[in-house]
Amino acid sequence: MKKELLRAGVFCLLVSGWLSSSMAHAQSDPSGKKRITDTYAITNATVFTAPGNPGIKATVLINDGLIQDVGTNISLPKEAKTIVGDSLFIYPAFIAGTSDAGIIKPNDPERPEDFVSSNPPDEIAGITPWRSALDHFSPKDSKIEDLRKTGFALVQITPAGGMLAGKAAIILLGNENSTNLLIQNTALVASLNGSRGMYPATAVGVMAKFREVYDNTKLTSQRSEMYKTVTGLKRPEITPTYSAMQDVVTGKIPVLFSAPSELEIRRAISLQKEKGFNLILTDLEDYEGVIDVLKSSGSSVLVKLEIPDDKAIKAQKEDATDEVKVLNARVKDAYNKALAQAGKLEEAGIPFAFSTVGVKSENIMKALQSMIENGLSEKAALEALTTNSASILGLSSVAGTIEKGKMANLILSTDSIFAENSQIKHMVVDGYIFNFETKSKKKSSKDGHGEQPKIEGNWDYTSETPAGSSGGELSIQKEGSDYTGTITYDDPSGSGKATSPLKNVVLDGSTLSFSFDITANGMEITVDVSGEVSDGSLEATMTVGEFGSFPFKGTLNPTLIATK
Amino acid sequence: MKLSRTQESGTWMILIHAKFHVPLKKRNHKYMKKTTYFLAALLGLSIQIASAQVKKGSVLIKNATVLTITNGTLENSDVLVQDGIIKKVGQNINAPKDVTTIDGTGKYLMPGIIDAHSHLGLDVVNEATAPIVAEVRMKDVVNPFEVGIYRALAGGVTISHAMHGSANVIGGQNATLKHRWGSTDPADIIMQDAPRTIKFALGENPTRVHGRGNGIQPRTRMGVEGILRNGFNEAIQYKKAWDEYNSASSQKNSKALPPVHNERLQILSDILDGKIIIHCHSYRADEIYMLINVARDFGITKLVFQHTNEGFKVAPEIAEYTMGASVFADWWAYKFEVYYSTAYNAAILTENGAITSINSDDAELIRHLYHEAAKTQRYGGMTDDQALSMITINPAKQLGIDEKVGSIEEGKQGDLVLFEGHPLSSYAVPQMTFVDGVKYFDIKEDADDQRLKISPTQMVEEVTISTDHEDRCMQGTESLFETTNSLFLLNQ
Repeated sequence: MKKELLRAGVFCLLVSGWLSSSMAHAQSDPSGKKRITDTYAITNATVFTAPGNPGIKATVLINDGLIQDVGTNISLPKEAKTIVGDSLFIYPAFIAGTSDAGIIKPNDPERPEDFVSSNPPDEIAGITPWRSALDHFSPKDSKIEDLRKTGFALVQITPAGGMLAGKAAIILLGNENSTNLLIQNTALVASLNGSRGMYPATAVGVMAKFREVYDNTKLTSQRSEMYKTVTGLKRPEITPTYSAMQDVVTGKIPVLFSAPSELEIRRAISLQKEKGFNLILTDLEDYEGVIDVLKSSGSSVLVKLEIPDDKAIKAQKEDATDEVKVLNARVKDAYNKALAQAGKLEEAGIPFAFSTVGVKSENIMKALQSMIENGLSEKAALEALTTNSASILGLSSVAGTIEKGKMANLILSTDSIFAENSQIKHMVVDGYIFNFETKSKKKSSKDGHGEQPKIEGNWDYTSETPAGSSGGELSIQKEGSDYTGTITYDDPSGSGKATSPLKNVVLDGSTLSFSFDITANGMEITVDVSGEVSDGSLEATMTVGEFGSFPFKGTLNPTLIATK
Repeated sequence: MKLSRTQESGTWMILIHAKFHVPLKKRNHKYMKKTTYFLAALLGLSIQIASAQVKKGSVLIKNATVLTITNGTLENSDVLVQDGIIKKVGQNINAPKDVTTIDGTGKYLMPGIIDAHSHLGLDVVNEATAPIVAEVRMKDVVNPFEVGIYRALAGGVTISHAMHGSANVIGGQNATLKHRWGSTDPADIIMQDAPRTIKFALGENPTRVHGRGNGIQPRTRMGVEGILRNGFNEAIQYKKAWDEYNSASSQKNSKALPPVHNERLQILSDILDGKIIIHCHSYRADEIYMLINVARDFGITKLVFQHTNEGFKVAPEIAEYTMGASVFADWWAYKFEVYYSTAYNAAILTENGAITSINSDDAELIRHLYHEAAKTQRYGGMTDDQALSMITINPAKQLGIDEKVGSIEEGKQGDLVLFEGHPLSSYAVPQMTFVDGVKYFDIKEDADDQRLKISPTQMVEEVTISTDHEDRCMQGTESLFETTNSLFLLNQ
C-alpha cells in the first residue's frame, strides 16, 4: 500500500513538475494543509555555503523547493515569508549514506511444507535482492522526525534482511504530504550475515553463496541473450534473484556491503576483487587497521555515525590491582584509537561519508563532536555529512551545498553547527520548513544552585507509540544519594503488566533520566527516558532501543505525608 | 581442559567461536618487503614462489643439537637461515653480514612443529547446514588476531591445518596456516604455497546433525556412503556437462548454452582430478575401510584420515591406499564411536607403514604436541626420530608440504624451534620459535599480554584462580608437611 503511494508519487514527480504548482493553486484545499506560500527568505543569517567556506552574512531565498539565491542584496518577492536569521547559522542539510528511518522489518515468510534447511528457498535464506527498501517503508516512523531533527534532509534507506537484503532508495525527510522519493534501486544491500538454522548460516557460507549467485547471474544473462537471437534453444530459467542481480553484475548499481570490522572489510573487498562489482563499504566501526587497504581498494566508505559505548571505560576503577590496571590501559588505548579513526581516514585522504543504520539520532551530535575532538577536522566532518555523501550517492548536482538551483535542504542552527550548545531551530527540507523548540541550557544542580524537584514516590505515566497509547506506574525511591525504582508496562509478550527495575536513575537539576530493560520477542531492549520534572509532572522522551523516540508523560501521585 | 577437549573433538557445535572486532593497537608495516625468490633446481626442489608480502628473516643458530628428523641428529651443529630459507646445516658456519647469531649450546633445535588438525585462527568453523558444503573456504574466515596462534608458537608449532568442522559429510576447504604472529592481513598467515585440502567427516557427527537433527540423509553410516557416492557421481556429470559446453561453444555458430555453475560440484570434481587432499574425520574401522573403497572406486589417492581411533584395525589398508592417519596420542571415549581405542594406535599404524601424525584439534593441546609425540615412546616404543616425525615431516607429508617444511634440510623453509631439554623429555621447554627465519616467539621476551587486538568496549575483570579445591582436599594435613618444607627451605 505504502509502496503504491510512493510509486504513484514518482510518476507524478516525473511527468508533472509544472502541474504541481499551477494546478494546486487552481484547486480549493479541503484538507487545509496547503501552504500559504512556498517562497521563504531567511534574512541576514550566517551562511556556510559549503564545507570549508567561512560563514558569510547573507540572505537565502527559497522557492518551490529550490534555493533561488544566496547573497546580500537580494530583492525579495512579496510572497516570500521572512524568517529573521540574524542570530542563525545556515548549513547545507546533512545527507546520510545509509539510514533505517522508516524501515519496518518485514515478517519472515512462511516456510513451505517441503522446507529443507540445507537448500532453502532464497526468500527464506535472506537472499531477496528483488526487494526494495520502499516495500517496507512507513512515513509515520518516528525515526524520520528524529533524524530530521538532527540535521538530515536526504537519506539512502536500506531494507532490513539477510545476506542480500534488497535495493536501497534515496528519499527526502520532507513534508508528510509530499512524495519524498528521489531515486529508487540505488544499490544492492549486502552483508555477511547468515540465516539462522539454514544454508548459508555463517559468513563462510554467505561468501560461497554470494559467489554462486553472482556467477549464475552472469550465466543466466548469457543464456537470455542467446535466447533472443538463436532459435531452437531451451528457454532460460528466469529467477527473481538472478533478475534482481543483473544491475549489480552489469555495474549499473553498486553493492552496499555492511562490513563493521576490519576482517569483514577485507572479506567484502576480497569478494569485490574476485568478481569486479562496484563496492560501497558501510557500517564501518573498526577500520583503523585497514585504512591503507580501504584506500587502495578505491571503494566508497561509509563510517557508522556512532562512537563505541564507554561503559567499560567508565567502569575502570582507580583502585584496581596492577594487573587489571595494565589491562584497563589497553582498553582505554583501544577506545581512544577508535575515536581517532575518522580523523585517520581524513589524513589518508579518503572521502568518506556516514551510515546511520542502527544509530540513535540523539547520539549523533555527540559522536561527531567526539570525532572532532579526536582529530577529525570540522571541515572533513561537514564534508562527510554533505558533499562526500552527495558524491557517493550521485547527488552532487542537486544537493550537498547551498547554491542557487540546488534543493532547498538547510540546517538553521543557533550556533556554529558542531559547537557544544548549538541547537537546530529550523530545518528546511525540500523547501518545507520544520520548526523545533530550542531550550536555554539549564544550570546543573551540581553547581550547588537551585532546588531539586521531588521525584520519590509513585508516578502514573502514559506513553504514545505507533502501537497506541499505553501507560503504567513508575515508582522511585531514594537510597542514600542514589535513586532506585521500578516501572510497570504492558507486557509485550502477552496480556497484563510486566515490571522492570529502573537503572541509572539520575536527577540533574530538573532533568530526570532513567532506563530499563524489556524483553520483547526474545529480544532485550533498553528503554531510555529523559525529561523535565516540575511540580510533580514529568514531560519526557522515551527512546526504545533503535526503534525511535516517543512522548512520555508522568504525574506524581500525592502522598498522605505533607510536603514540607 | 578435559571437558573442552571433549567438546572440541567430539561435537561440532562448540567450535563456532565468538570474536570481537575492534581496532588494532598498532599497524604492522613490516611485511611490505617484496621478495620473490627462486630456488635453484640444483637443490632438487621445485621452484617455489613465495607469497609477495610475508616477512622473511635470516638467523644463524650455532652449536646446538640439531634434530634434523630426516638426516639424524647432528651434535654441536649450526643452522643458517637466509631470507627465510635454510641455507646451510653443518659445523663452523660463519654468520654472514647482518645475520644475528644465536648460541644454541646445550639446546636442541628441531623443525617447527606442524599440527595437521586444528581450528585455530578461524572466525567460523562449521557451515553445518548441508551434508556437502565443499564450496566454502576457510581461507575466507581466517582471523590472524587469535591469541591462540601465539600460544601455539610458544609450544613450538609453526604450521597448523585450520580445518572446517565435522558437521558435514563433505565439509569446507581448509587453510594451512603459517604462524606469522603480528600479521594483520589474513593472507599473510595463510601458507599460500600449500596445496588445497578439504574436510570430510564420517559417523556420528554428520548423522547426528543432518539425520537426527534435520531428518535428512545421512541418518546412518550407509547414508554417509550414499552421500559420498552420489556427490562424486554428480560431480562427474557436472564436469561432463561443462566439458561438452566448452568444446561446443568453441565451434562456429554454437547453440550451446552454458550449464548452471555449481561450485560445490566443481570442488568435488577437483577432488576427483587429484587437485585436493581429503582430510577425513573418522573413528571406526568399518567407516575408514568404507571410505578407502569409495576412494578406490573413484580413483582418489589423496586421502588422509583424521582421529582414526580404530585405525590400528585397518593399518595395512591405510598404509597401502592412503596418505596415512593423523591421530590423538591418547584421547578417546568422549562419545560412543570412540570407545574402542588404544594409545598404541600411532605406533601400530607406523609399524604397518602408514604415515602417522599426532594432532591437537585443540587450542590448549597444540601447546605441547611434543609431549603428545613422546607418548608413542611409552606406548609402542617409537624411536626419537619416529616420534618426532609424527609432529614434523609426517604431518607435512599429509598436508602436501613436505618438500618445503617438516625437517631441517638445506633449501627448506626456515621454520625452527629451539628447546631447552630434548623435545621428547617431560622437562622440555621451547625457547624460541622461528617461521621463515623470523623469530615470533622468545621465552625471554614473552610479555604477559600478547593480544594484538583489544575491544574498546571490553570490561576487564580480575582473574582469580580458585585454590578452594586444593585447600579442602589437603585440609588438616599441613602439619605433616612441616618437616619436608623446612628441609626444602634449607636446601634453597
